[in-house]
Amino acid sequence: MHAVGVLEAGFCRAVLITYGHSARSSDSLLKMLTSMNADEAVFGHFGAAAGYALAARRAMHEFGTGPETWKHIAISQRKWANLNPQAVTFCEPMTEEDYFNSPWVVEPFRRADNCLITDGGRAIIVTTVERARNLRHPVVSIMGMGMHNPSAEVTMATHLTGPTGAKVAGEQALRMAGITIEEIDACEIYDCFTYTVEITLQDYGFFRRGEGRDWFSEGTIAPGGRLPVNTSGGLLSEAYQMGLTPLSEAVMQLRRCCGMRQLGPETGMKKYPEIILCSDNGGILQTHACYVLRRM
Amino acid sequence: MEKPRPVIGPDNAFFWEGCKRRQLVFQKCKSCGHVRWPPAHVCPKCLEYDWEEIVSSGQGIIYSYVIYHFPYHPGFREELPYVVALVDLMEGPRVLTNIIECDSSALACDLPVEIVWDEEGEIPIPKFRLRKA
Repeated sequence: MHAVGVLEAGFCRAVLITYGHSARSSDSLLKMLTSMNADEAVFGHFGAAAGYALAARRAMHEFGTGPETWKHIAISQRKWANLNPQAVTFCEPMTEEDYFNSPWVVEPFRRADNCLITDGGRAIIVTTVERARNLRHPVVSIMGMGMHNPSAEVTMATHLTGPTGAKVAGEQALRMAGITIEEIDACEIYDCFTYTVEITLQDYGFFRRGEGRDWFSEGTIAPGGRLPVNTSGGLLSEAYQMGLTPLSEAVMQLRRCCGMRQLGPETGMKKYPEIILCSDNGGILQTHACYVLRRM
Repeated sequence: MEKPRPVIGPDNAFFWEGCKRRQLVFQKCKSCGHVRWPPAHVCPKCLEYDWEEIVSSGQGIIYSYVIYHFPYHPGFREELPYVVALVDLMEGPRVLTNIIECDSSALACDLPVEIVWDEEGEIPIPKFRLRKA
């Protein structure tokens, strides 16, 4: 959103958004997680997994979600990763048994509910449509965007079981794009944890509160499904590259350069996708951004 | 390895001073009456500065809870598995704490809990246990 702002203001002609981290081969991530908040560390509370697990546990109580819903998300995304040679888990299929045998990290989350920790980097260039038309790749434009940041502290949070920032941000993005949710061909959702995918899609309005279990169970988001989600494997099964994992995958899918996992005839869809919705969120569901991208 | 200790600064000194007296103390806004947590020098509801201390009853209900099975910090390795919870106190604030003296399979959201002081370190730490009906 900031990139679009500086481009529109004429401050520059192109914006490079990059991310790189040696998260797996160093202890920097664990250090960051364990140094975050002294008041919480006293109680042995560290990092993001437990924060999201608190949200997920409350959601289990309020609308009956849980591992029986989340297993579909983990397994469906792994099926996508198994079609993506760049994915960390390309050679590791996941069955329902594998999911339930995955060890607890912070209950109710198993390891299979957690995103990966990955060494790597990713970059995206944002420029004007006018400039992009003179480049050699098909143009992917930003149809709409929205941002909403509900609150700062988990102890003051009222949004952990929805509506999260996804609700307002999603409405803003769809309004700007001038489309309805039915026109979305696929989604690339920020999936730090399985529950994040559920609550984000629920708040965007793809299904009603608590109906996720049935919705996901039909293979809806897996290869060949009605609404493909996280088609690279996502943060759960491809690589953790922050919000650039979903965003870069959406651009590459719309450019039709995704090989075996390419949405379209390659993976049992009638046509190639034209419109893909992406999300990003931060904190414990405290910040949210939504983007609707279109192939021009 | 030792567990992390409370880090006391100007914002939260009143809270840990209260703990030393085995009192759970919060800031109550003198203008609108809102009882706030975490500590803040202005009221998040009405933005007024003046506040007074209130002592909580130590009674509340579990908003949510999780069970740690992984040692993020070596000081907690021997505690595994342990329970971290968000507790809604009767007076209003929601606090992050531990539920102790319980079988984790007996826990559920909205169950009543009461305060129990952990005397292991220099400063008593406010934790909670299930309250018998």
